[in-house]
Amino acid sequence: MKLRRDHLSIDPEKCTGCRRCMIACAMKHHNRIDPDFSCVEVIRFASQDLEMPVICLACETAPCIKVCPMNARIRQANGTVVTNTEVCIGCRACVYICPVGSPRINPATGQTMTCNLCADESEPWCVAACRQERALTLCTEGAASKPAARRAAARSRAGSPRHY
Amino acid sequence: MKLVIIGNGIAGNQVAFDVRKKDRHARITIFSAETVPEYDPCSLPYFLGGECGRTDVFRKTPEDYTTHNIDLVYDSRVVSIDPDAKTITPHAGGQVSYDKLVLAHGGDLFTPPIPGIHNPGVFSCKQLAETEKLAAHNGRSAVVIGSGAIGIEAAEALKRKGYAVHVVELMDWILPSLFDEPTARRLETALKGYGIHVFTGEKVLEIKGTGQVTAVVTDRRTIACDTVVVATGVVPGTALARTAGIDTGRGIPVNRQMQTSVPDIYACGDCVETIDACTGETAMFQLKHNAIEQGQVAARHIVGEKTRYLGAYAFARAHFFSTHAATFGKTQRATDCILGDKRVIEREDKDNYLRVMLLNNQVVGGQAIGTFADGLGLLIGAMWRKDDFMEIAAKMRTTPRGGAVHTWPMLRLGNLLGF
Repeated sequence: MKLRRDHLSIDPEKCTGCRRCMIACAMKHHNRIDPDFSCVEVIRFASQDLEMPVICLACETAPCIKVCPMNARIRQANGTVVTNTEVCIGCRACVYICPVGSPRINPATGQTMTCNLCADESEPWCVAACRQERALTLCTEGAASKPAARRAAARSRAGSPRHY
Repeated sequence: MKLVIIGNGIAGNQVAFDVRKKDRHARITIFSAETVPEYDPCSLPYFLGGECGRTDVFRKTPEDYTTHNIDLVYDSRVVSIDPDAKTITPHAGGQVSYDKLVLAHGGDLFTPPIPGIHNPGVFSCKQLAETEKLAAHNGRSAVVIGSGAIGIEAAEALKRKGYAVHVVELMDWILPSLFDEPTARRLETALKGYGIHVFTGEKVLEIKGTGQVTAVVTDRRTIACDTVVVATGVVPGTALARTAGIDTGRGIPVNRQMQTSVPDIYACGDCVETIDACTGETAMFQLKHNAIEQGQVAARHIVGEKTRYLGAYAFARAHFFSTHAATFGKTQRATDCILGDKRVIEREDKDNYLRVMLLNNQVVGGQAIGTFADGLGLLIGAMWRKDDFMEIAAKMRTTPRGGAVHTWPMLRLGNLLGF
């Protein structure tokens, strides 16, 4: 299977919960060291001692694009879906419909924000921050998916519904 | 191929632009009853409240139609269809022939038979022209009749503009088709906290003032006002199809390829009656995402691709000031007439509230206010997959610490529901 676009591969088994990816994301996109401004969210399941990075997977049939009342969710050239901050009114429809609950709220503006794979960089900053643990890795477009990446993808699949 | 589309709404444009993507030579004509390019009715309350500009309401510009070679006929209502001769007649006269016809004219605002409903000062908030009139109107006190999603959003917008706002709802609680009573009561309290007066279980008897609205009379009180907004729902436009001999019910029934009883005539958007994707029963959800999906399916079938519509689903959000709520699937009231093992899971934490309806241990609907709503998408996924909640509860108990990462969607669901 060849990938049609760049994907982030999430391997929660390797995640140690250090949250360096969140810091890196906030530094890249908001120029501040504050995990609340990150597009990545590492969820901790205390009872199971498990960490789970949640990030926008840019679904093929993204429901957030369809439900946004302001048409602010826009598919980018690199396949990711981002919020147009000029028209977003912060109604959070995209958060509520998201099958993984990934869009995060910018605490300063109330608008939503999701991963754009750091479109202007050679590698997303969260991937660079996670180079040691390799819980977040980038599978580049056209590459045949490695068995390990495929296994990780199968594990982290959220079961997003197909509508037709 | 000559494709004619009646209606310039979300569904009609979706069909036109999707067909154009796959067929460069088709002749596409859209008949619009309005005089503007496609706009998004969901944005109108925010335009009214001044949260976005007039240009942000539009999904297309006039140039989009010319660059895609789509012929858009403004201000042209179609009055009749002749399915045998394959022609339609616009109200200005003349006949236009078609190979494939798409009915996407949507619904009409339901106008309740109240004396004085046509007085000056009575507005609606469903179409751009009406909303612009309301935005240009200078008033101080407004009554919103009906508390559906449009009614609540219009009430918020008018409050933002500095009006004193009263919402009158005939049913027992606000947002009656979207939320159950406990959720709706919390939203009502929140609305009242923002200074919006809410009267539920009241019937509007009369709108007073022939030159200019002066008061609204209900069966319990008289509310002085200078502006009335009618938001009593949308009824599917079936008259055109019925006179053409196409089968109609509450809406226009369509098959899985969005064809009506006449194979060359498709229908999509607010005017159709389709099936619920999760239960398979006949349903009408006049929501934007359903219109888009129906348009995509119709376009694929028109260009000859194999396709099958899985059905519509309910998802709506209620958002005013800093209160956020969302709902999906069935309400408890809608499950009342279904046999089966029913259970309601409720969670409450300060202002946040979650309410999930289970039928035979499967999610059929849910409502949430505040932070619980952030995980509502997981429950929608569980509804699609028909996850068994006994299994999820068992997984929560038996998953070893630090292991079994593959269970994380179940763990998130279990955590959300407080198992």
